[in-house]
This record gives sequence, C-alpha cells and structure tokens, in this order.
Amino acid sequence: MKISTLEYVIREVFFSLRRNSWMAVASVSTVAVSLFILGMFMILVMNMNRMAESLESQVEISVYLKDEVSESSIEDIRGMLESMQGIDKVTFVDKAEAMSRFEERLGEQKFLLEAIGDTNPLPNSFEVKVKHPDMVKAAADEIAKIKGVESAKYGQDVVQHMFDITRLIRIFGFALMILLGGATLFIISNTIRLTVFARRKEIAIMKYVGATDWFIRWPFLLEGIVLGCFGGVFAAFALRLAYGIVTNKIYETLAFFPLIPMFPFIGYVGIGIMICGMAIGAIGSTISLKRFLKA
Amino acid sequence: MIQMKDISKTYENGTIALERVNVEIGKGEFVFIVGASGAGKSTFIRLLFREVLPSSGELIVNGHDVVNMDNSEVPYLRRGLGVVFQDYRLLPDKTVAENVAFAMQVIEAPRRRMQHSVNAVLDIVGLRDKYKNFPSQLSGGEQQRVAIARAIVNNPALVIADEPTGNLDPETSWEIMDIFKRINASGTTIVMATHDKHIVDTMRKRVIAIEGGKIVRDEAQGVYGYEN
Ligand SMILES: Nc1ncnc2c1ncn2[C@@H]1O[C@H](COP(=O)(O)OP(=O)(O)OP(=O)(O)O)[C@@H](O)[C@H]1O
Ligand SMILES: [Mg+2]
Repeated sequence: MKISTLEYVIREVFFSLRRNSWMAVASVSTVAVSLFILGMFMILVMNMNRMAESLESQVEISVYLKDEVSESSIEDIRGMLESMQGIDKVTFVDKAEAMSRFEERLGEQKFLLEAIGDTNPLPNSFEVKVKHPDMVKAAADEIAKIKGVESAKYGQDVVQHMFDITRLIRIFGFALMILLGGATLFIISNTIRLTVFARRKEIAIMKYVGATDWFIRWPFLLEGIVLGCFGGVFAAFALRLAYGIVTNKIYETLAFFPLIPMFPFIGYVGIGIMICGMAIGAIGSTISLKRFLKA
Repeated sequence: MIQMKDISKTYENGTIALERVNVEIGKGEFVFIVGASGAGKSTFIRLLFREVLPSSGELIVNGHDVVNMDNSEVPYLRRGLGVVFQDYRLLPDKTVAENVAFAMQVIEAPRRRMQHSVNAVLDIVGLRDKYKNFPSQLSGGEQQRVAIARAIVNNPALVIADEPTGNLDPETSWEIMDIFKRINASGTTIVMATHDKHIVDTMRKRVIAIEGGKIVRDEAQGVYGYEN
C-alpha cells in the first residue's frame, strides 16, 4: 500500500469515527462488555481446568495392609504395585508414620488418643499415585485382589464431581462465547453498515472512476478493527481489575486455593481478548461491505 | 475503441433492453446515441463501463474483453474511461478541487501529479477560479463541468456520457458541448446518449438511433431524426 493511500485510509477512519461518534462509543462499549464477559468465562474455565488438574494430581490410592503381613511380603507387595501398569509412584507409610500423621491432623484434639494408650490401631499402608485419573478405579480394584491387602481406597466422588462441573462450565462457556461473539459481530457490522450507508454515493463514485475493491474496503475494515480493538482494550483493563479483586477476596478466606496467579496470566488473556475484538471487527465490516462491493 | 457483436441485454425482470446490437466505434470518434425514452440508450451506455453485463454477445472496450472479464479487472477497465451522468454525482462535502482530485486519489495516482492535473482539467472546463467552492455553491452547468473535469482527469481514452445536458438550459448545454468538443479534439473518443435535437442536428456527428432495443440507423454525419 502506498503511503498516500495509508494516509487516506487513516484520515477516512478518523473522520468516520468522529462523524458517528456516539455510535462509535455505543459499539465500543457493547464490544467491551461482551468481551469482558467472554474474558471472565475464559478465566473461569482456565481456573477450573487448573483446579481439576491439581485435584487429579492429588488422586492417590491408599492401600491398607493386613496386620499379619511380614516385612518381606511388604517388599513383595511393593514390587507388585510398582510393576503394575499406569502407576506413577509408590510410597510406603508404616504404622508409626501413619500415627504421627494422624496426631498432626488432630492437633489440639490430640488428647483423644490417650484413650487407646500405647497401642497403634493404624495399619501399614502404601500410597499409590497413578499416572492418569481414569486409571484410578481399575488400579484400585486390581490392588484390592493382592494377597495381604486389606483394602484399597481413593477419593473417587470428589474427582468425578470436579470433572463433571468442569465439563459443564466448558460447554456453557463455549455456548456463551458463540452467543456473545455473534452479538459483538452483529453490533460492529451494524455500525459499519451505517458508515457504509452514509458514504454510499462516495463508494459508487469510487467504483465509477476505477478504485479497486480493496481500496474501497480498507477504511471500513480498519474502522471495524479499531472499534473492536478499543472494545478489547477496555475489556482487558476491566478484566485485570476484576481478577485482582476476585483473587484477593478468595485468598483472604482460602489461602491455598489453586488460582492461576495474576501475572503473566491476565496479560495473555488481555491480548487474547484484544485479538478477538479486532478479528470480530474485521469480520463484521467485511460482512457489511460484502453486498455493497458486489456488482 | 468499442466493438459490439450481437449484444443483447435482458434484465432480470424479463425486459429486453437491447437485442442483437452490432456497433463498431473507432478511436477519436464523437458518437451520439439517440432514441425515444425506454429505447435502450442508458443500457447501451452502462454496458460500456460494465455497470451491467450483457446477456449474450461480445464486447470489447478500449482493449478489455468486458464479457469475459473477472470482477477484479473492472477497476482497470474503468480507469481508461470517464463517465458523466445527467445528475452530476458530485460529493457535496468536498470542494470542486477535492471532487476532481478524488478521482486520482482513489486509483492511487502519484500525489505530485495531482495538483498539476487538477489545475489543468479545471482550466479546460473553465472553473479554475471556483476550485474552493462546494457543489451547492455552483449552478447546474458548473456542477456538470466539475463532473466532466473529474471524468477526464485520469486521461481516459473514452468518455461516456448519459444525457449530460438533460438538466440544463439550451445556452448552458452549448457550453457543456463546447467542452466535449474540445476534449474530442484532443483525441478522446466520446459516446453520448442525448435527447437534445438541436445539439445533434447542429453538430452533425455520427448518430446511432436505437428503437426498441435495436439499432435502426447509424449515420456518419447524422441528425436527430425525431420530433421532440
Ligand atoms: N435495472 C433495470 N431492470 C429492469 N428493466 C430495466 C432496468 N433498467 C432499464 N430497464 C428497462 O429497459 C428498457 C431500456 O431502458 P433504458 O434505461 O436503457 O432506456 P433509455 O433509452 O435510456 O430511456 P430514457 O431516454 O428514458 O433514459 C426500458 O424498458 C426500461 O424500463
Ligand atoms: Mg436513459
């Protein structure tokens, strides 16, 4: 593109935005609101994913051994566990270790243990981590059959719930994304349609004297991109503020909640939202121009 | 310059506007297209710059095959043509000079040539001193001159006009025709649809008469041939 053309395009966009300034403000704000909601959902889905992942990684099977199992059998069982498919890590927890962990968990209520005196009712156990949460159930069933194993337990319900919720949010978020994306597209293309309409004479003359479709298209395309970009910038700043407030609130009550840290995460989200806005703007103006440039 | 072979045009609603038209127009000619209202003059004109496509036939304009042309080539066909309409079609929020320069700008002509070319064509149409005026500050004749200046600023080989004097009084019409004569004298081909008996009969140029979509007369130094 020639410099003079670039100048022309920029000037046209500037004048057009100024001429339809209230319309431009309206569409930038609508785009910003849509993109903000879109961004919130992106953030929510990503955080849910992360939570699910961190839960998944915590999924482990507690393998309780019968009391009569000898030390050499314990080693045999360890060998069997380690040679099973899909097993990530096997850790032995002996009776004493189990008791001290229990005491730790009781904290202030430790005195309750005085009732049982010196005896240790807790069994020896293995903590088994699996490579993928899908394998937990099969592995636990298998392990339960091993001779010397009392039982094999894991927190199945929690994991399954988490999966279900995440899937639901993903689907809902996707539907919402399409809906809001469509609405944003509609708004931008309508704004551009107004501009095109206001300048239809000019466009007709441009065509008579031999302007190419691209030359005619550029100012409108850029106008759409500018509107989308401004909407995206506002949405990105709002998202940054909102995420800051939400993370603070959550950390105040749940210090170890596995939220994705603000930086650089929110920067990527912001850039993504801006690119979304510009893409929607470009597509919106292309739609508005399509009929005009034909014939 | 223009070769029409067996050109027919039927509009979408079934109206047959032109039927098997054969015309050849050479470089530098001055041609009037005459005929009653609805005869097909405007359709003839619009085919030349491919505002409408023929239904059948062959059409070469200024070396471009109009029928088998890709849409993306249309701008390059039109850069070789200047088009003038009865209703001027100027941009109301641009000055005289800006309206003319616009035609250069949108085909990305070099900017250093712009000033010079605009002044030159405004001299030709005699409007140099009003270059700062807006169209609303001009008479009909003056607006049509601006339109002509815009049509010729890119040095077209062919100027096409559809009733350019249709809205003007006789005296102003003659001023416009003088400009066309001068443009023609410099070698530019001119094809003009008109209803103006007096102009056609006085100028004695080539006259092509259309009736009901067919060419009924084609004379080298013709007359209008109808009572107005
Ligand atoms: N876009 C269109 N769709 C359908 N029919 C059309 C269209 N344009 C013109 N026609 C018809 O085609 C025929 C020729 O019209 P055209 O405009 O070429 O006539 P004309 O000779 O220029 O008339 P006038 O002197 O009134 O300008 C007419 O019957 C007209 O009604
Ligand atoms: Mg007509």
